[in-house]
Parts: sequence; C-alpha cells; structure tokens
Amino acid sequence: MKVTFNFGSFLSARSVMGDTMVELGENYKNVWALTADTGGALKEYKQKFPDRYIDVGVAEQNLAGIAAGLALEGNVPFIAGMIPFMTMRACEQNRTAICYQDLPVRFIGTGGGLTSGGGSTHNAMEDISIMKSMVNMAVLSIGDPNMVRDIMLLSMTYPHPLYIRLAQGKKDRMLYEPGAYEYKIGMGITAREGKDATIISHGEMVFEALEAAKTLADEGIDVRVVDMYSIKPVDKDLVCKVARETGNILVLEDHLMEGGLASTIADVFVDSGVYPKKFKRLGIPQVFAGFGSGEELRAKFGYDKTAAVAAIKKMLK
Amino acid sequence: MADAKEVSRLKALAYEMRKKLIHLCGNYDGIVHIGGDLSMTDLLIGLYHHGLKVDPKQIGSPTRDRFLLSKGHGAVCMYIAMSLRGYFDYDEIVRTYGQLDSAYGMHPCKIQLPGVDCSSGSLGQGLAMAAGMAFSAKQKKEAHRVFCMMGDGETCEGEVWEAANTAGSYKLGNLIGVVDRNKQLMTSFDGDYMNLEPYADKWRAFNWNVVEFNGHDMAQIVDALDNLPPVTGSRPTALIASTVKGKGVSFMEKNIGWHAGALSPEDMQKALADIEAGFAGKGSAA
Repeated sequence: MKVTFNFGSFLSARSVMGDTMVELGENYKNVWALTADTGGALKEYKQKFPDRYIDVGVAEQNLAGIAAGLALEGNVPFIAGMIPFMTMRACEQNRTAICYQDLPVRFIGTGGGLTSGGGSTHNAMEDISIMKSMVNMAVLSIGDPNMVRDIMLLSMTYPHPLYIRLAQGKKDRMLYEPGAYEYKIGMGITAREGKDATIISHGEMVFEALEAAKTLADEGIDVRVVDMYSIKPVDKDLVCKVARETGNILVLEDHLMEGGLASTIADVFVDSGVYPKKFKRLGIPQVFAGFGSGEELRAKFGYDKTAAVAAIKKMLK
Repeated sequence: MADAKEVSRLKALAYEMRKKLIHLCGNYDGIVHIGGDLSMTDLLIGLYHHGLKVDPKQIGSPTRDRFLLSKGHGAVCMYIAMSLRGYFDYDEIVRTYGQLDSAYGMHPCKIQLPGVDCSSGSLGQGLAMAAGMAFSAKQKKEAHRVFCMMGDGETCEGEVWEAANTAGSYKLGNLIGVVDRNKQLMTSFDGDYMNLEPYADKWRAFNWNVVEFNGHDMAQIVDALDNLPPVTGSRPTALIASTVKGKGVSFMEKNIGWHAGALSPEDMQKALADIEAGFAGKGSAA
C-alpha cells in the first residue's frame, strides 16, 4: 500500500488552498483569484498579485460572469467561496456563461455537506447534483488537505470547467502522505483493500469509511474502501471492478442521497450491466438538517461510521 | 462633429441592413425578434462599421475591440451587421438560419460561430462577462475597449447592476455599455409595470460616465463613438441610446405584438415599402 494514514493529524484545507494560489500566481501569469467577500484565505495572494485579484462583494452571479470574461481572454480564474452560494445562487451563470462556452474556470468551495455549522442556509447538500448536471463541468470532492494542492496544480492542465468541493476547510484530516498518489481527473483511489464488501465515499467521509473498515476488521469482516474523489467523470472501471470482486457496495457520502455519488454509481451499474450483489446508500435524507456540527448531524441522520458498520453487517447477513 | 460623408455611408448601410432583416424574417419559417432588431440596427451599424476597431480578416486579433451582445435574441441583427462588414456571407445566413446544424440561430454561440466574442441568450449576463474581459485587458495594459450591447428590458436583472457596481468600483475605463433604450419589454411598455426611470441616473450612481443620444440619429451615434473617454480613464461609459422598437416599419413601431414575429408576404412588402420611404425621408418619424 502506498497510502499512509495520519488519523490524528489535521490541516486547514483553506490555508492549503491559499498557499497554493500564491504558488500558482507565481508560476502562471494568467491565474486570477476571485471571491465574493469570502477571500480570507487569499490574503497573501492579494498582497502579491493585486492586479489579478477581484473581490466583488456579495455578488456571486456577477463573479461567475466576470470569471467567464476573464477565461474568454485566456486566463484561468479560480473562484473561492462558500459552496451553496457558489453553486446555487450563481447556478445559471455557471451553466450558461461558463459551461456553455466550455471555459477553464475553477470553483473551490468550502463547507461541503453538513459541515458548515451555519444551518440549512449554509449547508451544501445539493451542490454535487447541481454541478455534475452541467455539460463540460468536472466535479471533484476532496477531504484530505494534502490533496488540495496537488489537485489545484493538476487543474492547470485541464481545459474545462472544474468544481472542487472541500470539506469544512478549517480543520481537515490528513489521509494520504503528500506525493502518495498521482491524482487524475476521472480516477478513484483504493484507499484500503478488502474482499467482503466495498465502501465508496468522497471528501472527508472517506475517513469515516476507513474508520468503519477498521472496526469491521476487528470483527473479521474485510472491507475495501474507495475514495471516489472524481465524481464526474467517475472511474467506471473501478466501480465495476469492486462490484465484481466484493459484491456488496455501500456508498457513504455527505450529500443528499439523491443526485450525489450514490446516484452516479447506480447509473454506472445500470449503464454497464455490471450489478453488485447488494447496493446500499447512506447520506443526507430529504431533510433540511438544521444546526449542529458535521459529526453530530451525520450521527443524527445515520450516515456516520457507526451507521456504515451496521449497514455492512446487515448486507453480509 | 460627425463627418457628413461617413454619416451618409452609415445611413445607407443601416437602410441596407433593415431590408436584409425584413428579407430574412419574411423567408424564415419561424419567429424573429424583429422589433428589437430594428431598434438597434443603427447602433450596430455605427459600432461594426465605424466605432469598433475590428478586422474580419483577423477575428482573433488580441488588439481588436471586443463586442458582446448581451441581448442575445438580437443575434440575427448582429450577424447581418457583421456580414455587411465581411465577416459572414449573408446568403448563407438566410439559407441556414435556425436550421439544424446551422451556426446562425436565434441566440449567438461562440463555439459554433467563431467571430463572435461570446455566447449569449440568457438576458442580463453580458455585462459581467464584458467586465471580466475589461479586467483582463486592463491588467495586461492593452489598449482595446470592450463593448457590451444591452437591451433596457434586460437591465431589470440584478446581475447587470452587480456588474455595473463592480465596473464602477474598479474604474474599468475600457468598458463601454451600450443600452438600446427602446422603453419596451417583451409584454409591456416601460412604466406599465416596471419603471426604469430615472434610467441614466442609475448608471451615474454606480460611477459610470453617461452619454445619452438618439439611437436612430447616425450623426449622434458617430459623435458618441468618436468621443469616448480614453481607455485609461477612471470610469466605464454607458451609451444610452433612445430608440424605437420596430423602427422604420409603421405597423411594428411601439407595438407590443412585434417583440418577435413572423412576416407574411404582404407584411414583408409593406415593411419593405416603409423602410424605403423612411430612407427617402418620407417615413415615420416616431
């Protein structure tokens, strides 16, 4: 295994994002940083590259349009902000100004799933569904802050719109050693081997999946874990492979169960004709979840590691 | 003061363009946004044949002025103005307009039609994109301008004013908003439901330089375009052109029914006769 898990270590993905923006700004003269009054992590970038930094105030639709205009002129704009407003408020601008013209705009959103702590207005439970429905848009979900830099660097070779969903972005668990993987849009990572079942997850929920697998291993159940950080395009070969090899598939995600990764995986099964023995999804039900931490809400709505353990056991009965 | 010969040349082009618009509309089995096309005909001729520094032989030249048609439903008007400049073949536009796989449709698509600077069709989105292009040009210290043509109706959209605020705040002197102020929305007149006045003051409030003129008086159009502030100026400019929807066709002028429509052979003949009379100085002065 190339992977090293540092379950006790945390890092701010926002800081990594801000540092990487500086790195990109130095290396690429066509990189711009854009924000709608949420540029706290971009202070150093702003100081170093004031002529390639735009803060439009609280105006996400306008910001998406400006990003499109910059990209039409050969620039690579990175929009940093809070997910619900980046994906929903500016939904049509993202679709028509950016995706329709197939422009290389990067969206980096913080507060994935129910991690925001801001309640239902600030939770991001529809974003993957919205963004993956847009033609030309790729959708990634990253929990490990170390991956953030690598993916941002990788994005410079990607000529289409790209949405990168982070977890809360303040105190994120490190899963992989830096440099452990060569990431690729359209690929997933087998984060843990196993033969009895597979948990497919994304973002910081991969940590929950790995914890569940550890618990199950103590009971003699050997569970594979896939980090499907690329949700669109999705790694169809890997999805089919784990279905064939382990039979039982659990999708665990911090997103509405409708429209997220689970729906994508189900589509792969139906379209490919490769079916798992059993398939179960755990995520956010059709509720506005309200207040609480991400961990508390995951437990309340039944998609944390404890729920994953129970679901796998039931599947294997 | 606009050069009389140039004004005369542009007037003849606008006359030619109106006839071509009617010809296309009359020969197309579908609706054309003819009302708004006719209200911005003179403006587009002024832009593509006088004001814009563009060259149809070098469509991607980085030094060219940019033009974004935010009121994308006026695409056919832009296609024809551009065809008269040598970008496209008018006969090809008429032959294929709105047909399967045609590059020429109701709303412009940059991917399908190289030569247009951006895709549009969803109203209110052009100015923000133009601002983005202006940001880029300013940062690179390029000397060209970015023009964005808007219908006044679409300026009900919030994104327009978000972009206006940004452009004023960031002193985008290389950005020119051109408003086809025909005082009609699709289904109502300005003031019936939405009152857009005091219109020019709204742009001034966002720190824009505002120039108001008659959008059917070619000399005034030329003057406005000839006297733009320098691109290094500290304010974007709004050219607010007072126009008439359906201009030049008696039964269309200020008629809610002619936001978009199809022309019968009889309507086409009447429209062409009105346009001819107007060019001869005998038409409606609405």
